Amino acid sequence: MPDLGTTSGGIAPRHTQRTGLGLQALAGLALVALPVGLLVTLILWPTVRMVTATFLIDGTLSSDRYFAFFNDAYTMANLRYTLEMGLVSAVTALAISFGIALYLRFSAGRIATMIHGLSLFPLFVPSIIISYALVRFLGPNGLFQLMLEQVGFTHYRTPYLTPVGPFLAFVWENIPLPVLVLSAGLSQVSDHAVEAARDLGAKAPRILWEILLPQMRRSLLIAFALIFMGIIGAFTVPYMLGPPAPEMMSVFMQRTLGNLHDPEAAQVQAVVLMVISSIVGGFYIATMVKSSEAAR
Amino acid sequence: MLEIGAITKTYQGTPAVRDASFSVARGELVCLLGPSGCGKSTLLRIISGLTACDSGKISIEGVDMTTTQANRRPTAMVFQSHALWSHMTVAQNVGFGLRVRGLPKAEIAAKTAAVLDLVGLAAFAKRLPAELSGGQAQRVALARCLVVEPKVLLMDEPFSALDAHLRKGLREELKALQGRLDLTTIFVTHDQEEAMELADRIVVMQGGRVEQVGPPGALYQNPSTLGVAQFIGAMNTCTTNLRHGAVDWYGVTLRMHLPDGEVALLCRPEDLHPDAKGTAARVTRVIDLGPVTKVTLITGTGDLLTWTCPRDQAPDLGRVLTLLPRRLHAFRSGALMGLMEAPLPAQAQGATA
Repeated sequence: MPDLGTTSGGIAPRHTQRTGLGLQALAGLALVALPVGLLVTLILWPTVRMVTATFLIDGTLSSDRYFAFFNDAYTMANLRYTLEMGLVSAVTALAISFGIALYLRFSAGRIATMIHGLSLFPLFVPSIIISYALVRFLGPNGLFQLMLEQVGFTHYRTPYLTPVGPFLAFVWENIPLPVLVLSAGLSQVSDHAVEAARDLGAKAPRILWEILLPQMRRSLLIAFALIFMGIIGAFTVPYMLGPPAPEMMSVFMQRTLGNLHDPEAAQVQAVVLMVISSIVGGFYIATMVKSSEAAR
Repeated sequence: MLEIGAITKTYQGTPAVRDASFSVARGELVCLLGPSGCGKSTLLRIISGLTACDSGKISIEGVDMTTTQANRRPTAMVFQSHALWSHMTVAQNVGFGLRVRGLPKAEIAAKTAAVLDLVGLAAFAKRLPAELSGGQAQRVALARCLVVEPKVLLMDEPFSALDAHLRKGLREELKALQGRLDLTTIFVTHDQEEAMELADRIVVMQGGRVEQVGPPGALYQNPSTLGVAQFIGAMNTCTTNLRHGAVDWYGVTLRMHLPDGEVALLCRPEDLHPDAKGTAARVTRVIDLGPVTKVTLITGTGDLLTWTCPRDQAPDLGRVLTLLPRRLHAFRSGALMGLMEAPLPAQAQGATA
């Protein structure tokens, strides 16, 4: 008879658990229903409509608009400029951030705390303020030029309205996020892992190349994807600081829509940019999934 | 081989290592033993060069290494957390030190295979650290150090994160390997059993100081300070006053030719023996440890005594025994004053100091 007691005792909690799980699952679905609904209604559905619309000319399927996009030299120059700006700015910001994160990982004290604070400061400054500040500082007759002239240097050429302008702004603006991501990644590398390499005779460059960088690969890829996607879609900085030509795609898109009154062409530009972002985004998600699997 | 001279290290005004000195002969295995926070790991890191000392001198084979960087010292360290690089295979982990030294690929492969064979992990060369057990990971960490043929092998509590059974097995493997390679080794541990089993000599540290250096048996039999006596092995401690050559030991007066004053009398559990003239104590607990039995007793003065006796002499619970010490270590202000062999009750004669 004790077996019967054990059996019934075993069934009861399982039954309750199943009901509990069902309720939990329903509650979970209810919680995500609103954001998922908003995502579908406000983003996915308009996106699908827009992508479909770019392939429809007078009700018939056509890839003419894409043909026109990829055969227009100015448009392609803008796309190339956007991707190059994204790549160069993201790599530069990443390199600087990695240096800062390394310093913060292996240093302590007031200076490290100060540098940490300073590196995060751009996170709280809106793009438009950064752009204005750079115009006032680096622009013609800006503070930087005046300072150089004070020491006798009179050949200063302002980066304002050249590709260097948005590059500087993008780098400055995109330091905090990778510092946070890379600091989190570096905190996973134990002191002993570094010390073991030192103990076996390795110097700093080899430790960086063979020990730290391989273990930071995922964090670097995640940070790169986030910065790159942010830059290629940015509007304020290239609008305020960038050259009139070539233009970054966001500015070009706005001008195509607002000045040239050609919404179909602007939609094609948006779709191309979205596809590029999606590839990098997919890459980001794949890296994140691998990270979570590795953590498990 | 290795000379440690008056090493001192202070962290923000708190001394971690104070005036530590000892030497290690070639092929010797020396254990740094002490409780947590006694400075043993700090001292090991100073020897490795990973931590700089404030003052003192370290020399290896007569060469002053005090200010030499860690990556230029002929030492290699096994860490408590094994510190394997998770992105490298076992073979890559082991071969790292050889790659740093710029050896040809074929030689690296041959040496790596040989050392992996030595630690019994030849079949695991292509595995990642995450695919190893704790014991295997620690053996890879050891192989990674052995492959660079260090003059001094440093081990910082390498087995402390492993279970007792595995720890014992690895200890025996290490001892055999160290003997076979004639490798000068410094092994940090807080586990006295581990130190007693492994070491040729033990350096006992407390509060950043080296308290005593000696072979395990000598430290056990003749501790020179109260700290060492209480840290190594079990002791029955009786703090009492010595007056006119007599001392009260749990209600029994013993003769003792020592200056008057407060004294701590320590006696090993196995040094107690039943004697009609001894102190009466009632058995409160009997633990069968296999070859011996550990008996806890309470004396008439309310103090607890531990007695280790042969299994066949184990008393019943509640029985009252009379016990006397065969050997008593007397300490005053932490320092050894004398060792009494077979101290006798006051009415008898023949006590020695």
